[in-house]
Amino acid sequence: MNRWLVVVGREFKTRVRKRAFIIATLLGPILMVGAIVVIAFLAEKAIHSDAKVLFVDHNNLITYSLSGSEGVRIPSCTECFPERSFLEYRFTNQALTTEEFIDSDFTAMLELDDGIMQSAKAVLQYEVAPSIRITSAIKRDLGEAVERLRVKNESSLDYETYKRLKVRIGLVTQDIVTQDKNVQHKTGVGFAFAMFMFMFIMIYGMHVMRGVIEEKSNRIVEVVISVIKPEHLMSAKITGIGLVGLTQILVWSLLSWVLFLAFGFYAESSGLLVNLMSEQGTQVATTDFNSFLEASDDLNVLMQIDWFMMVGWGAFFYVAGFALYSSLFAAIGAAVESEADAQYLLLPAMLPLMFSYMVNLMILESPESMLAIVCSFIPFTSPITMMIRLSVGVPWWHVLISALILIVTVYFMVKMAGKVYRTGILMYGKKPTLREMFRWLMYKN
Amino acid sequence: MNTVKDTTPSALELVEVRKQYGDHTALDGVSIHVPKSSIFGLLGPNGAGKTTLIRMVAGITGPDSGSISFFGKPLTSEHINEVGYLPEERGLYKNMRVGEQAMYFARLRGMSKTDARKELLDWFERLEVDGWWNREVSDLSKGMAQKIQFIVAVIHKPKFLILDEPLSGFDPINAARIRKEIIRLRDEHGTTILLSTHDMSSVDELCDHVALINHGRKILDGPVIFLREQARAGKIDLTFRGNLISFTAALGSGAILHSAHSKDDNVHEVVLGLPATIPIEKFLKWVTTEVDVLSCSPQSVSMDDVFLRAVKNSAANKIEQS
Repeated sequence: MNRWLVVVGREFKTRVRKRAFIIATLLGPILMVGAIVVIAFLAEKAIHSDAKVLFVDHNNLITYSLSGSEGVRIPSCTECFPERSFLEYRFTNQALTTEEFIDSDFTAMLELDDGIMQSAKAVLQYEVAPSIRITSAIKRDLGEAVERLRVKNESSLDYETYKRLKVRIGLVTQDIVTQDKNVQHKTGVGFAFAMFMFMFIMIYGMHVMRGVIEEKSNRIVEVVISVIKPEHLMSAKITGIGLVGLTQILVWSLLSWVLFLAFGFYAESSGLLVNLMSEQGTQVATTDFNSFLEASDDLNVLMQIDWFMMVGWGAFFYVAGFALYSSLFAAIGAAVESEADAQYLLLPAMLPLMFSYMVNLMILESPESMLAIVCSFIPFTSPITMMIRLSVGVPWWHVLISALILIVTVYFMVKMAGKVYRTGILMYGKKPTLREMFRWLMYKN
Repeated sequence: MNTVKDTTPSALELVEVRKQYGDHTALDGVSIHVPKSSIFGLLGPNGAGKTTLIRMVAGITGPDSGSISFFGKPLTSEHINEVGYLPEERGLYKNMRVGEQAMYFARLRGMSKTDARKELLDWFERLEVDGWWNREVSDLSKGMAQKIQFIVAVIHKPKFLILDEPLSGFDPINAARIRKEIIRLRDEHGTTILLSTHDMSSVDELCDHVALINHGRKILDGPVIFLREQARAGKIDLTFRGNLISFTAALGSGAILHSAHSKDDNVHEVVLGLPATIPIEKFLKWVTTEVDVLSCSPQSVSMDDVFLRAVKNSAANKIEQS
């Protein structure tokens, strides 16, 4: 045990004190928070393209017809749609076909029907996604129109009723050509987690492999395994390097959180929020960062995610997924004598990892699909696909069963990898085939 | 088979040790006896089974059958701290500093931090690598790195030290220094040393005992002095002035004339084989009465010759058997 800890300590210490590691660990959160800030604000300010939106009021809810001109309508409440330099509306009750839309000079087409009174949802179609400034303005304008309509339908108005009538319009944005809907911002967060998972397993899994190859090629391993069992050396190595990854994740999470709070504080106190919100066309400007986030169409997802659960399960799936893959990588490293030789063995080991990454791209839109559910139980894909499911919410027993399957698989994988490792680490002079490596599983030591 | 039973107390005793890897037999019933506080040379061509044997003693693998006893007790993982091991073609971790790396290995061998540091500083000074403690491994010359590796193998004062080609890669000056250290370990600390090497000159200089293995079998072992004497097989070099034909006739069946080389008409160099029954002094007395002896010396046989001959013999035996 004592020796095992000495090995873990070495693997950990020699890596975390590297300049590259320190820089990446400190810079990561700054870049991440920076990216969010850029998305939220700078991009918003930078894109000053003007938009011409066709407003299709299928059920003539908020517009009336102007006699004489066919199809052209006037909003019942003109003050709801104030004049803006960057946004121009045309009102009608007949939608354009896709071809007609593409040929027209409209940047977007907004469709609404009776349903909006209940669902508060309208569909915004476009060829090129309009900027957040434009969608925000549309939402505000449409929201006011719908609110006025609701208020008109009420005979007497008290505060309770007012609150009930108050509406926040959600736009279902849709690319008119591909029909892709960008509804699931939440899965975006899950996807980001899965991406990090993929990245960390790859990067630190390769660390394990390279470490094993280094020890083997310079014969240090012979000295070490004369002192501790090869299986224990392998597990110590995986633990030490896994801890390096975990440290980085921890520092990133904490630092991002602190930076985000700090930015929020700055935004609140500097009046930046008021400027931004009035520019977006929000009527009631707020100086409170949280309400700002909630009001922001792209950032409110940050308030809806159960961060505690995401980070907690994220840490578990990282640890288990890393143990699973890195023991495979360790076995491969032990079988070869140089990194170049490892390539052909690495491919089959990495396929499931690549596959889960691809699955993620597919299930991003449909985190409840069969593919997503199946892959979130398969131990080789679950660490990555489960993150997406977690972001939109998943039955607790799904996570639990998936975790149990993963733990059992990790146990057997580490055992098997240990056997291959034990034999491979002392073999020199020939490249083993996969079949030979399977035979090593049967060797006694 | 040329074996001599040694009865001195043994540090390591292998009895009929066998090891199989798949369908390859690495060791085929090898028995060796390493006396305490001696330097034992383990010799043999590449692929003979030396590495397998060393790995067993180092505790990396175990035998399929046969027994290994260590200072009278079966070798177990408890003996880890009493063994030092310097593998062949060794290297060091690139991402660690010299001193820190040495500390790591010392700690792996169960030393406390303070002990390790004290001992290391001592050794660094002795092998003149002090001042390198905080340097990067990549700054070390090959010889420097080899010294560090040697230190790391002996730092925990093992009772039993395994050195696999310890002198390869050293320049002659440093090789001599390491050789001196190896002898000092035996003489001052009573360390038993198992030395595997191809370098016969270091066997001649260092080893008290040797064993030669080939194709997984031991084909020769015993004390170096004895093996040399045996290989000499009573051969002597003799240079004399006189008549070669009458000398040969006078020799009769008393000794065998292996070769003769005439320098000029009267001076001849011959190699004679004396039977063990005739002591060299007796032969000298007789021969001086026959011819004018210019020089006479027992032939010196290097360990190189001993082993080449033994390997050749074992190959010949194999052919005979099959």
